[in-house]
Amino acid sequence: MDAFPILLSFQVSLAATVLTLALGLPLAWVLARRRFPGHDVVEAAVVLPLVLPPTVLGYYLLVVIGARGPVGRLLDGLGIELAFTWRAAVLAACIGSIALLVKAAQAGFEAVDRRLEQAARTLGRSEWNIFWSVTLPLSWRAVFAGTVLAFCRALGDFGITLMVAGSIPGLTQTMPLAIYDYVQANQMREANLLSLVAVMTALLFLLGLGRLARLRF
Amino acid sequence: MLQLAVRKQLPGFTLDVAWEAGDEVVALFGASGAGKTLTLQCLAGLERPDRGRILVNGTVFFDDGTGTNVPSRRRRLGYVFQGYALFPHLSVADNVGYGLHDRSREERQRRTAEMLERLGLTGLADRRPRELSGGQQQRVALGRALAVDPELLLLDEPLSALDAPLRRQLRTELMGVLREWGNATVLVTHDLAEAFQLADRIVIYDGGRIVQAAPKSELLSRPASEQVARLLGVRNILRGTVLKATPEIIELSWRGYVLEAINSPIRTYLPLPGTEVAFFIRPEYVRLIRKDRPVDPGHHMNRMEGAVVREVDQGTNWTLLVTLDHAGTPAQGDHDLEIEVPKLVYEMLEIARDRRWAVSMHRGSIQVLPAA
Repeated sequence: MDAFPILLSFQVSLAATVLTLALGLPLAWVLARRRFPGHDVVEAAVVLPLVLPPTVLGYYLLVVIGARGPVGRLLDGLGIELAFTWRAAVLAACIGSIALLVKAAQAGFEAVDRRLEQAARTLGRSEWNIFWSVTLPLSWRAVFAGTVLAFCRALGDFGITLMVAGSIPGLTQTMPLAIYDYVQANQMREANLLSLVAVMTALLFLLGLGRLARLRF
Repeated sequence: MLQLAVRKQLPGFTLDVAWEAGDEVVALFGASGAGKTLTLQCLAGLERPDRGRILVNGTVFFDDGTGTNVPSRRRRLGYVFQGYALFPHLSVADNVGYGLHDRSREERQRRTAEMLERLGLTGLADRRPRELSGGQQQRVALGRALAVDPELLLLDEPLSALDAPLRRQLRTELMGVLREWGNATVLVTHDLAEAFQLADRIVIYDGGRIVQAAPKSELLSRPASEQVARLLGVRNILRGTVLKATPEIIELSWRGYVLEAINSPIRTYLPLPGTEVAFFIRPEYVRLIRKDRPVDPGHHMNRMEGAVVREVDQGTNWTLLVTLDHAGTPAQGDHDLEIEVPKLVYEMLEIARDRRWAVSMHRGSIQVLPAA
């Protein structure tokens, strides 16, 4: 059996989780702490990837980043290929999992007593500084839980990845895609083994998360 | 020096206040929901007023005319929040030193240690807020606010989270800290005793407006209106009809008696005869006329007769509820006057047994309230 899909899946999911954090934390903070027209629209849009068919998401993503799409053309001019590369798989995993992080982090931020942030403000700290010294230290459990869930979800993405990155063995074929191919080829032993790896990984992460949540600091 | 004029509209509530203060302790007193905390938040830059101007020690913090709105972090204020809002994830020392982030490490440590010592918290430096008693938490909050050497100290109900005996002790402690500090302080409280003990000046809030702002010495002796008197918990607020008013005296008709009260020459309040006015007499200023002493008409002004209908034991005093000998409904439901007598007097005069009494009120103790 080829170990490449396992390694690729971990690399893609890790990169996707970093991207998810970079985009999701500011979004969660804005949703938790600012009121603006269209707040509810943004909130709904964040959750949308959880309920839409992955093919729909994949299709739209392909329209945007494909060779003829606006972003695709822009990146093409810079010599960067996106569609049907591992980078597209990262984007796919990010879109599939960002809602889990945003919702968890938003709830975590909302649970922080606003007066603590106000107190920090009167004590001369900037908003950026307050986020790192008050908001995040008091909500890290929720943020961490969201991050682990997002990572596990990224590991398991199938549909969006297939649409935008294809299933090119040795290039973009992640674990879930490899399992599908093995089953198609009636290689049940390999399919079985990879599935077990997927289940054990997810189980381990979620167990660790549960343990951590019970610790007191 | 603090000058504030603020208007802010919220759903179902409008704050519209203006007051000034020097380097003194100002108490914003009023019921909850009167707009006191909102005023504090506007002062601290945590809420943006719709209109107005806030000036502290010559610096404009807010002015809607010029669009000035200095952000909270640049206002250099010490804000002690209701419930303290201590950072639960930081130690006592880190809480106190939180506002000193822009100083050097040594400076921060030195200043923090100094604050901890001044507030008697030295041994608790490494504790977390949840491991502290209410009184200790209050001191940490005060230390955190004072550590940055603020221009202005804002205290929002600093003692209301504490039990009564501790509250009294900490009130005295807090007074010491404030006197030592000596800069302008704004204190929000719904506790009149707290306002009187800690403040030099009291601003009375009611429904988003100011009903009176005065040095505390003036407040009880000269409430600006019946409304203020009621907010201050003044008892025996009564209504009478003016018979005659001169700059020296006001003559009132009340419950069939003619009462003579001293007018306030500074106020030159001259209501027309026939006007209904509110007046009050403090329960401890109503005198019982002793039956074992010869009658001295000159000494006993505004003499009235009646019977004790009910009494309440207040511990060191007794409150007597007296109904006067006059037809018609008593002025305050089932009685006309509340009279407070020390326990000793209550026992010596055998009031428990002897119910009929003549009372008198010195004309200087009857305060006629200007119409609101």
